[in-house]
Amino acid sequence: MTVAELVFYLLAILAVVAALGVVTTPNVVHSALALILTLVCVAGFYVLLSSEFLALVQVLIYAGAVATIILFGLMLTRGRELPSVPAGAQWPLALLAAGTLVVVLLTAVLDSEWPRDTGVVTLVGVNTLGGALFRDWLLPFEVASLVLLVALIGAIVISRQEEEGEA
Amino acid sequence: MVDMEQAWLLPALPAAAFVILALFHQYLPRKGDLIAVGSTVLSFLLALFVAADLFGQLPAGPGELVGNTSGFDWVEIPDIDFVLRIGFRVDQVTMVMLAVVSFVGMLVHIYSLGYMKGEPRYGWYYAVLSLFVASMLTLVLADNFLLLYVTWEGVGICSYLLIGHYWERRTAAEAAKKAFITTRFGDVFLLIGIVMLWREAGTFDMSEIFEKAEAGEFGKTYLTAATLLLFGGAAGKSAQFPFHVWLPDAMEGPTPVSALIHAATMVVAGVYLVARVMPLFEASYDGALYFVVVVGLTTTFMAAFMGLVMTDIKRVVAYSTLNSLGLMMVSLGFGEAGVGPAMLYLFTHAFFKALLFLGCGSVIHATEKQETTDLGGLAAKMPITGRTFAVGALAMAGVVPLSGFFAKDEILVAAQDFSWAALLLILVSLPITAMYMLRLYLLTFTGEPRDRHAYEHAHESPPVMSWPLVALAVLAVVSGFVVFEPIGKAIGVHSGFLGAVENVLVEEVHGFSLDWAMAAVSTLLVVGGLYAGYYAWSGAALPAKAAGERFPFLYRLLRNKFYVDDFYQWVINYVVLGLAKVIAVFDRAVVNDTGVNGAGEVTNGAGFFLKFQQTGKLPNYALAMIVGVAVLAIVGFSVKG
Amino acid sequence: METAAEQIPLESFLFVAAVIFSLGVYGVLSRRNAVQILMSVELMLNAVAVNFVAFATYTDPELFRGLVFAVFVIIVAAAEVGLALGIILRVFRNRATANVDEVSELKW
Repeated sequence: MTVAELVFYLLAILAVVAALGVVTTPNVVHSALALILTLVCVAGFYVLLSSEFLALVQVLIYAGAVATIILFGLMLTRGRELPSVPAGAQWPLALLAAGTLVVVLLTAVLDSEWPRDTGVVTLVGVNTLGGALFRDWLLPFEVASLVLLVALIGAIVISRQEEEGEA
Repeated sequence: MVDMEQAWLLPALPAAAFVILALFHQYLPRKGDLIAVGSTVLSFLLALFVAADLFGQLPAGPGELVGNTSGFDWVEIPDIDFVLRIGFRVDQVTMVMLAVVSFVGMLVHIYSLGYMKGEPRYGWYYAVLSLFVASMLTLVLADNFLLLYVTWEGVGICSYLLIGHYWERRTAAEAAKKAFITTRFGDVFLLIGIVMLWREAGTFDMSEIFEKAEAGEFGKTYLTAATLLLFGGAAGKSAQFPFHVWLPDAMEGPTPVSALIHAATMVVAGVYLVARVMPLFEASYDGALYFVVVVGLTTTFMAAFMGLVMTDIKRVVAYSTLNSLGLMMVSLGFGEAGVGPAMLYLFTHAFFKALLFLGCGSVIHATEKQETTDLGGLAAKMPITGRTFAVGALAMAGVVPLSGFFAKDEILVAAQDFSWAALLLILVSLPITAMYMLRLYLLTFTGEPRDRHAYEHAHESPPVMSWPLVALAVLAVVSGFVVFEPIGKAIGVHSGFLGAVENVLVEEVHGFSLDWAMAAVSTLLVVGGLYAGYYAWSGAALPAKAAGERFPFLYRLLRNKFYVDDFYQWVINYVVLGLAKVIAVFDRAVVNDTGVNGAGEVTNGAGFFLKFQQTGKLPNYALAMIVGVAVLAIVGFSVKG
Repeated sequence: METAAEQIPLESFLFVAAVIFSLGVYGVLSRRNAVQILMSVELMLNAVAVNFVAFATYTDPELFRGLVFAVFVIIVAAAEVGLALGIILRVFRNRATANVDEVSELKW
């Protein structure tokens, strides 16, 4: 067992446990915290895959901004039932569906033939990625920024107070 | 000018009168009755012209057919050998029928001017009466079975409409239904018989079918079956046992209708049909003709006995019609030898029976009563009616030298060649016929009036009603003489009536022969019957009453018409309606509840259960999506992997 | 020295991603609070991104399209969370609840 493998297994177990926590714990704040842990583990995966930039982005945006927003949302929508919200009525069926899905996916993963020898790995540096983003994928990049803009405007419009007039 | 080619005019004129009256009778002066009367008068005159043309072609050698065929094919479907042809054939038999129908039709139309005056639906009455004359004329002119069947039904529906003329009376409506349903029952047999013949022969044309039958192209059993089915239709229309039940009840209709339809014309349609298809009978097994004889004898005897006890004067005459019809069928059943006599009887019967009915009408018109228990002694008050009625009664009884005598005599001669048993039975029926006819006359026109008010009220009928009576009385006397060759020749019919008719229908022409022995025997029996009747029913009719008390069972049996009607009612109540109940249950439970309602209920129920899928809850919808994805994944993977 | 990626087989990453994805599916279907459902969706998106990057690293050396796609996944996920929370806030304001079971006007 090499170091890389060890790290990977630790990260994997942690990520799965955290994800489990996200979807099972009744306390909403606890599940938000578990989500943050999962996101950080995923960042770890990116590091293992030698995409440091992506790991950076993941921690910054996901674990930083998105998780914070989620916590804000939880705070603002405190209802009678919070903070403990037990599972919904259809969890057996959900378990069945999810279980089926995982079985199928795993079977697909294990049985499939990959197009090339996955023993040989090529690593990508940040500048290569940047170059690709701003050259080959410029248009999608700009569109993505537009998406962000639209989402921003939309969110503001939707969550405005009524006293300031309806849209 | 007018010859046999234009024979189609004879029915066309009354048909036109029907159309005009049916549409416009409310707006025409006098409701258009003169149009109807005029059309029948013209029809009769044209019939004379047609007769002249036909007689010009006589004499005919043996086997040589005279006459004329005209018409056109209306619908032709060659692939299935179907031809709907409006075709007319004029020969001697047709001529007899044309003469009878047009003449009696004309007289009844004239008579109705007086009888139906002031009655409701006067215009419609004349319309349907004209339609009837048109249908009947087409029936006898038809040269193919399909046209015959159509007009057969046509006269049936006219009979229904006319019997039910006073439909506000429940009994009249019921009688009309009864007549129509009973004859319709027979008509089903007729139709099947026609279709059977068409199937084998590939044509509806009568002469072609007769040729094929004589050539032996039909299987004998098949042909016998088809012929007996045709006879079934004839039995229905001509009120043979067991279809006789409708004729007495049909007297609910106006009396001129009874005279025309139920004495002279429609009821003899069956006799005409059997006479026409005699070649088929000849080519069938002998059993077919025996069957006809048996049915005819049953009818005539039942009717004769029932006529002895009925009190409604029209019903007594109706039973006498049944008597005569039975006799005609018996004569036809004798085969070739009996066809001529049967047609002769048909010819003479039309006149004296119509006379008897119109005489009854005269009595009813004068006294407003028709039960013998309310009548009596009318001879003094209504001389013309009384005397003509007597002539008609004597002609019916068969007193020489009235027309009925010659007809009956010829039938007896034919019976003698056929079988002694039949001859004996017919001879026995002669005095009974004489008895009940005399009874009717005595109870109505002689003796003490039983209802003084009716008697005071009685008066002779207006000329428009009494002249037809006189005309018919004259014919009742002389129409029998056409059998004699010299007289026949004088009116243009060579070889006498019998010879002329037989020339068409049978191989051997018998002609007329006066058998003195038979004539003597029959006259003796008739006179004996008249005497017995006079003894029993003259004056206060004490012997008759005593006889009625001596044999109560028999009396009741006859009064209740042998309980045939009750039997039919029982069958309808238990068999027909029972079956109907079963079918109704099936219809309600299976077809309606399960089939129709069930389909709706299933859909409804399915909808009710399916709606629970729309919970409105987000997780449920998401689950549905994921389940779909999972299923697709499994399917995709198992297909690929 | 070998890179870490050379020591860890591709299937492992895919394995983990599949498990996390399925857990996310379970969460979407069984959670009552709308924000928790949103969190489960984030889990799913992350698993997908891991998948993409893994494939890019192991099977797409020249173009590393998966890597680029993962960037866009993150961008869009961020936008989507913002918008989704706005909607949840709106619903919360109208109905005083963030429980998806209680927001069922679409019922038959």
